[in-house]
Amino acid sequence: MRLTVNGTEYEVDVTPDMPLLWVLRDELNITGPKYGCGIAQCGACTVHVDGLAVRSCQLAIGDLAGGEVTTIEGLAQPNSLHAVQEAWIEHQVAQCGYCQSGQIMQAASFLDLNPTPTDEDIDTAMSANLCRCGTYPRIRAAIHAAAKKLQEA
Amino acid sequence: MKFTASLCLAIAVATGALAEGADLVIAPPAEGSVSKQVGLEAWARIYEVASHPRCANCHTGPSDRPMWSGPTYGKARPHGMNIRAGESRIGAESLLCSTCHTTKAEDWENANEMPHAAPRVAMGWALAPVEAHWFGRTSEEICAQLRDPDLNGGRDVLEIAEHLGHDLILHWAWAPGGGREPAPYSLQEHVDDILIWGVAGYPCPDT
Amino acid sequence: MPSVGKIARRTFLIGSAAIAGGVAFGAYLVNRPIPNPLLDDLGEGEAAITPFVKITSDGVTLITPRADKGQGSYSIQAYLIAEELDIDPNETTRTPGLPDQAYYNSEVATEGSPLPAYDESAAAETIRSVLRVVPKLFSVQITGGSSTVPDMYEKLRNAGAVARETLKEAAAQRLGVARADLSTQDGHVIAPDGAKIAYTDLAADAAGIAPITDVTLRDPKEWRYLGKAGLPRTDMEAKCTGAEKYGIDLALDGMLFASICANPGIGGALESFDASEAETMPGVKRVLEVKAGNPGVAVIATNTWYAMQAANAVVCNWGAPNYPATSAEMFDLLEAAVDTKDAYDLRQRNDGDVEAALSEGEVFEAQYRIPFLAHAPMEPMNAVVQVTDDRVDIWTGTQIPLFIRDRAALISGMDAEQVFVHVQPIGGSFGHKLEMTHVEQAVEIAMAEKGTPIKLTWSREEDMTHDYPRPASVMHGRGIVKDGRVDTVDISVSQQAMAPSWFGRLTGMRIPGPDPTITTGSWDQPFAIPNYRVTGYRAPDLAPVSSWRSVGASGNGFYHDTFLDELIHKAGADPLEERLRLCMHAPSRKVLETVGEMSGWDGPSLGDGRGRGVAFCLSFGVPTAQVIEVTNTEFGIRLDKAYIVADVGRVLDPGNAEAQLFGGLIYALSHAINSELTYEDYAPLQTNYHDYEGLRLYQTPEIEVKILENMPGIRGIGEPGVPPAAPALGNAIFAATGQRLREMPFNKHIGFV
Repeated sequence: MRLTVNGTEYEVDVTPDMPLLWVLRDELNITGPKYGCGIAQCGACTVHVDGLAVRSCQLAIGDLAGGEVTTIEGLAQPNSLHAVQEAWIEHQVAQCGYCQSGQIMQAASFLDLNPTPTDEDIDTAMSANLCRCGTYPRIRAAIHAAAKKLQEA
Repeated sequence: MKFTASLCLAIAVATGALAEGADLVIAPPAEGSVSKQVGLEAWARIYEVASHPRCANCHTGPSDRPMWSGPTYGKARPHGMNIRAGESRIGAESLLCSTCHTTKAEDWENANEMPHAAPRVAMGWALAPVEAHWFGRTSEEICAQLRDPDLNGGRDVLEIAEHLGHDLILHWAWAPGGGREPAPYSLQEHVDDILIWGVAGYPCPDT
Repeated sequence: MPSVGKIARRTFLIGSAAIAGGVAFGAYLVNRPIPNPLLDDLGEGEAAITPFVKITSDGVTLITPRADKGQGSYSIQAYLIAEELDIDPNETTRTPGLPDQAYYNSEVATEGSPLPAYDESAAAETIRSVLRVVPKLFSVQITGGSSTVPDMYEKLRNAGAVARETLKEAAAQRLGVARADLSTQDGHVIAPDGAKIAYTDLAADAAGIAPITDVTLRDPKEWRYLGKAGLPRTDMEAKCTGAEKYGIDLALDGMLFASICANPGIGGALESFDASEAETMPGVKRVLEVKAGNPGVAVIATNTWYAMQAANAVVCNWGAPNYPATSAEMFDLLEAAVDTKDAYDLRQRNDGDVEAALSEGEVFEAQYRIPFLAHAPMEPMNAVVQVTDDRVDIWTGTQIPLFIRDRAALISGMDAEQVFVHVQPIGGSFGHKLEMTHVEQAVEIAMAEKGTPIKLTWSREEDMTHDYPRPASVMHGRGIVKDGRVDTVDISVSQQAMAPSWFGRLTGMRIPGPDPTITTGSWDQPFAIPNYRVTGYRAPDLAPVSSWRSVGASGNGFYHDTFLDELIHKAGADPLEERLRLCMHAPSRKVLETVGEMSGWDGPSLGDGRGRGVAFCLSFGVPTAQVIEVTNTEFGIRLDKAYIVADVGRVLDPGNAEAQLFGGLIYALSHAINSELTYEDYAPLQTNYHDYEGLRLYQTPEIEVKILENMPGIRGIGEPGVPPAAPALGNAIFAATGQRLREMPFNKHIGFV
């Protein structure tokens, strides 16, 4: 089975029902996407498929259908971090950091769809990503900051 | 209300493994062969299906919040995580349904085996249109909606039946997997009831 | 030659030692010689120390032995060294090193002190200093009890200062100038003429001279990093780019992946199993019975997902464990123990004459309870283990590396010296990684595949149902109000023993004596109530339990403060004013006053279905007060705003301390609102985050934090944000609705948005 991750093409030999998450982690050693729950409850495994956020634990590799996969490792440009990552660092969002790959990938995709979100929009878009450390106040602030950066860019 | 000329023709619709059985047969009874009483009995069964959580939870009408219910959620409650399907009914305004409810292009045996995972079918996950408001509504209200072409997508009974054949999300209601309780009867029985009800002249309770 | 300087502080001193290619600076222990891990790497005659700084021609390494589970301990440990060493920690290599007895944690046991934290008398300090020796006896390199900062505050700065002065001395000798004429900056010694010599260039010279141990630590006013707002955590960028490698991310050549299904009735047997289906599943290499830790059946496969799928397909026949099968039976036992003579465990507060007061006045009684709680950090339990003929290597995120080393030695039949525990960054713990069942299992699995590294990962379902949770408990309160004041408080808490359950698992030893965690957080509060009594009762052992963020105070903070709030209400007094009137500890009063000012406190009612609650708890030496504001909406209770004030003595990383405090509040509310483990058939019913939900972003109130520095000393901040949150919320809900919540989770009794 072939797939493209962060612009690189790979060939893997797995059953078609294997979730994309486990292809990335255990077959390709791309470990930014995390295993947290396996049932779309936590969002730690979030990646982009053709630019849209997807829980990689819920997408069977056989259903990828040629979709281009981007993980947190592929979000930045070669010489600069993505605006969401910059905002995350400025606001010192992460604590344990385990959910943050997913939070950042969700936020990046969300800001693509909605470049000027309100607090209420953020509440709706970001409440399916669980953070057990409780970094939510800074996630909210960082998304506003990232939106501003993207507007100014 | 009139049926099209193909009324007497049995239509076989390939439905895939997400519905039980491979094919759905659309074979309406002959026009005039069904009494109002039999039609009402069919409607009662249709209502059992429409009001079942597997169906009603995504027919939330003007609310864009899908509902959850089941063994671990107790009584029906709004979908956790503050999910809003928005005007788009697919969450395009904030969080796409497809983020978690991925499309299962091929019908793996274990598509929805994992308890409590996000259900997936071979099409995009979405809330039903606002007009098709079933959650928390009475038999009379749902019946009135379903027979009104202005509120049912302009469909006659045969088109409703065909819609049932094509709409893979609703096939999931009878094969929800993951320990969830399926909708009552079977998809075929439900389609048969729809046809009986239609041929009987779409009788609704108290009308 | 071991070149030992004079004793820099009471229990340790900093020395230096030559190592291959350079020099190491670290601690000698004076109370008892302790063997050192560096010995293996050292040649004849070289010094043995526990290193905190290593400098070679290749670079500078900072060794930060306390585990980082998200609380920022690696970062603050690096900054403590760097502050004196004059180097940007981001320009160094940072590692937790290999665990060693010399990294013992002297602060972790002080929370069990029989003197409350507000007691600063000489006697109290003496008892605490004795307690600081106890962990050393047990080889305890533990991360926990909010102890990293207090324990490391002087040790690491001293190590940095000794290293700096010794490097300067080496430069002075090379340049023929006085050390006093040299300065240091960003990893270099600066000569009087402005010339720079890199530390790495001086490493070999420094190894050959006696360390300069007569150092004076810098005045905090001179600090460049510590105490500064906006200090970036050293791990932040890696965590925002996916580069951070947690234990679960480790990949070794030839590694295979394992998962396990073990008896959810912990301690029960595996009576039989049928793996015939699992053995035929894709990717499966081997199915094997595992006896270590908690019996079960493991699957080794070519991918974790294959292993989990196959483990799910194993049909197991479990034997019953040695505890009651259901939560209902367990709560019956807790209720049966409370206020009974036979179950009496410990009474550390007994002021005035409670019996006499209760026999005279009109007694108000209330009964409370809290459930078992899973830790449920985002990273499930995992370990990579490789066993060869002569060594065991273990890579895992853990708070207890030395216990793991010793247990792995026992399981594998090797000497402890042949077991190497490589501590990995941790994706959250909250106390979860004070346990090692998963490592025991992983060692046994890896023994079956000698030479092959095996990564064992628990599924989330395995993790939730095999946690050692926070113990459930019940509280019966009696109180009397008199003349508009709280006059009598009598609190009886019944809980199974927690500390002995945990320590017994780790050491095989039974701790004698009472379990102070039963009443920690209620007996030790800084209030002067005329008749005031707190008693712990010890219920029989129930499901095995462990420490959970803020430990005893997680429940006792709720019991004590909510019951006090009830009595204040009965007395007709203002919740904040009466707490202030009763509080006899100046820094604690200041914390309460400050939270009142921040929140604009003018009483509990905010009108129109809105209310606010105040709560206070002194835990881990940190007085913490919170105010939470709620609205009773048609969709349920909405949390509008929260205020936190805490006094840590001295704050080293203000931004991270703030994050720990609001994170603690959010963690506490997650469980106060909607989380519990309920047991049926010996196992928790909750299996994943869908029924152990936690707070989501949209439910999180706006939070303001203020940190004060009036307390003596310095305290950790990972836990004290937790205990006041549940009572502040419950008190706010009472103010908004008139409904008093005496049982968590609150959503059993009232709906939330």
